[in-house]
Amino acid sequence: MKVTIASPREEKRREKGKEAANNLLEQWKSKAREGEKKKKLIWLELTGCAGNIISLLNGIDPGLEELLQKQIDLCYNNSLMTAEGDQAMKQLFTTADDEFILAVEGAVTTKDEQYNSIGRYQGRLISAMEAIQYLGQRAKSVIAVGTCATYGGISAAHPNPSGSISVIKALQNIRSDVISLPGCPSHPDWFLGTLAYLILYGTSPTLDSENRPILFYGLTIHDNCTRRSFFEKRIFARQLGEQTCMIALGCRGPITRTDCPTREWNSYLNWPIGANTPCIGCAHRTFPDGTSPFVQYERSATSTEASKENNKRRK
Amino acid sequence: MALRKIINPVTRLSGFLEIEVYIEGHTIVEAKSSSLLFRGFEIMLQGRNPLDAIYFTQRICGICSTAHSVASSLALEEALKVTITEQGRALRDLVHGCEFLQNHLRHLYLYTMPDFIKLPEAQCLFQKGEQNHQDLRLPKKENDLLVDHYLESFSISRKAHEMLAIFGGKAPHDHGIFVGGLTVHPTIDKVIKFRSLLDQIKRFTIEKMIPDVYTLARYYDDYFHIGRGYGNLLSFGLFERSSKEIEARRKEEIQKSYRYVEAAFLPYKGKEKRINKNKITESLRYGWYQDGKPERPIEGTTIPDTEKEKAYSWSKAPRYEGYPCEVGPLARLIISGHYPYQISMMDRTIARALEVLQVIMVMEQLLEEIALQEAPQDIYTIPEKTKGIGLTDTTRGALGHWLIIDNQKLFHYQVITPSAWNLSPRDEKGQRGPLEEALVGTKIEKIDQPVEIGRIVRSFDPCISCATHVHTIKGIQKITILD
Ligand code: SF4
Repeated sequence: MKVTIASPREEKRREKGKEAANNLLEQWKSKAREGEKKKKLIWLELTGCAGNIISLLNGIDPGLEELLQKQIDLCYNNSLMTAEGDQAMKQLFTTADDEFILAVEGAVTTKDEQYNSIGRYQGRLISAMEAIQYLGQRAKSVIAVGTCATYGGISAAHPNPSGSISVIKALQNIRSDVISLPGCPSHPDWFLGTLAYLILYGTSPTLDSENRPILFYGLTIHDNCTRRSFFEKRIFARQLGEQTCMIALGCRGPITRTDCPTREWNSYLNWPIGANTPCIGCAHRTFPDGTSPFVQYERSATSTEASKENNKRRK
Repeated sequence: MALRKIINPVTRLSGFLEIEVYIEGHTIVEAKSSSLLFRGFEIMLQGRNPLDAIYFTQRICGICSTAHSVASSLALEEALKVTITEQGRALRDLVHGCEFLQNHLRHLYLYTMPDFIKLPEAQCLFQKGEQNHQDLRLPKKENDLLVDHYLESFSISRKAHEMLAIFGGKAPHDHGIFVGGLTVHPTIDKVIKFRSLLDQIKRFTIEKMIPDVYTLARYYDDYFHIGRGYGNLLSFGLFERSSKEIEARRKEEIQKSYRYVEAAFLPYKGKEKRINKNKITESLRYGWYQDGKPERPIEGTTIPDTEKEKAYSWSKAPRYEGYPCEVGPLARLIISGHYPYQISMMDRTIARALEVLQVIMVMEQLLEEIALQEAPQDIYTIPEKTKGIGLTDTTRGALGHWLIIDNQKLFHYQVITPSAWNLSPRDEKGQRGPLEEALVGTKIEKIDQPVEIGRIVRSFDPCISCATHVHTIKGIQKITILD
């Protein structure tokens, strides 16, 4: 074995190098600590299917687990929080005394305000309307996640038995800056991107006239659809499962603004038209009444010629 | 006098639930579960295009939407007289399988575990509040391991939804499941991706999930003795066999029509019986619905009446032959002979983990069987008048959709969800629902920290999803909860 003995000069240089590295590390650490101040988030579930929080769990890079460890303090969410009952409600109202961002999924029922409550606080049922108004007033920013929260969605479908209205409407006398992230459910990236913008820049990203971030809702599905060339050539699918344009089956891509075709879902794997089915316009203002029937074969009658062509091509 | 306690919200479940119990000494003597299922889907579906039901009813629930697409497609296939091909059924079952994996993983780790392990309280989400319950028994080493697995479960359960999206377009609320089976063609690229994800989940299940649940069982073994309930079990059957397979098995004289569990009713200490659809009824007595005789779902009504005296739930009370029945993974494992006939909070939790493996085994078999050919689809015509029933088991248990078509439109729609069975209120005979029954008799160690209640409730994996708390306030005095 060869043993080298460093000269005193070398020794000194090595020491200096070590010191510099340590200094840098310390600097980096304190900087990291600064950035560690987590933002408080309240995620409220109202009249809906709680599918948006499930969708958020599907987000990746960062996943929710990473956000929880580094960026946010999720102080209230019915689906995930450890506390229950009165303790959970206490946590909700204590958080509201501090600075927080509010995310809401689901619609608000109005038929009888008392019909809709999120829990009991000090013995009293807290109605959803009460909760949303109380928190909506105090929140630094409010994000309406999903179509029920933004437009009423399926919860307000005809004849709207629960008298559901959107969160935007429930807060209309309180604030007009609620960010809308429609979609049934909303894509995790739409939420994560919006949240990141709020955290980094303190304001919302650029919004359109319906308060949707243009970044995600700027173009229609039809604008960017992978099957657009079939549309142009009038090659229309007659039944589900065909790999051409879905317009004759009732595709709502031309009226629905989202980036589904380029983003895709569930770790960017697939999307409804990719599943050989028409877009049902789940992020559209009129969903579901205005975008149904979701699938209709009769519309293909006008395009039989194209379909025949299409079938020949497929065989 | 009995002490009244209310827990609301019972968190870590899908939707909103209030549990009210009366405690004498240290024992629960009475229990009420107020299930909050009214969003009026049955009313909203009237007059709609029948095929819309598949995408529409999925929105009942964000965590188990695929279940509704399966049940509604089954009901529509019966109504439209569509015979599904073997390929169509195998593909649909595969996609349905993904949902079991997603649900069970998320339920066990995200919903159940926080009741038993100590998660890092620096994160607001994991704080227990001042009444921090102390009954956390795992030694640090075991606890740390389970916290790691809790965090890992996020990405593993995500993979189950990725699998679902490969053949379903997206999740939650898939597009691929339809009348005739599926709309996505199983090409080799999709199949290998699917298989790879399935393998990853399988490894996690064998190496982590199942050992983890036995860790819980070891430290909380008293939970094998509480939360039993009636012991009547019900399943609508899961993963039908292909006709070829049935034919082959007939020679061996094994007449099983399902790969995993038969459609069966098993009354406590009784004999297993085949399911007769006409024996399913719903009682309206304690639900906020206009009263009537117990009715069959095909003629059932949904007329809300919040003023009704004694009513306390938006759930109707489904009964089989008049029996309140437990549905879900434990019921399925017992009926199919994969688990001893023992029922408790802990058995239910173990069953959930074991079932993941059971479902993976069926999915592997299905993957072998599907052909790299097109998924069969057709143009489906809607008859003038017809009806259909779709019964299947899903993650949380027996699910049924009943529909009547008139004038080519939906005229009638009724859904009975698994949680309606498990969390049903009383019926006209005064019989409690299965969860209520499971709570009664439970000993509460510390009255001001009744951790036993939440643990038992979550062992049923309630999915109240459909609505926020819809509750009649009238007559409810101000009381203090968990004071
Ligand atoms: S499938 Fe829909 S979105 Fe795509 S090109 Fe056709 S109409 Fe447009």
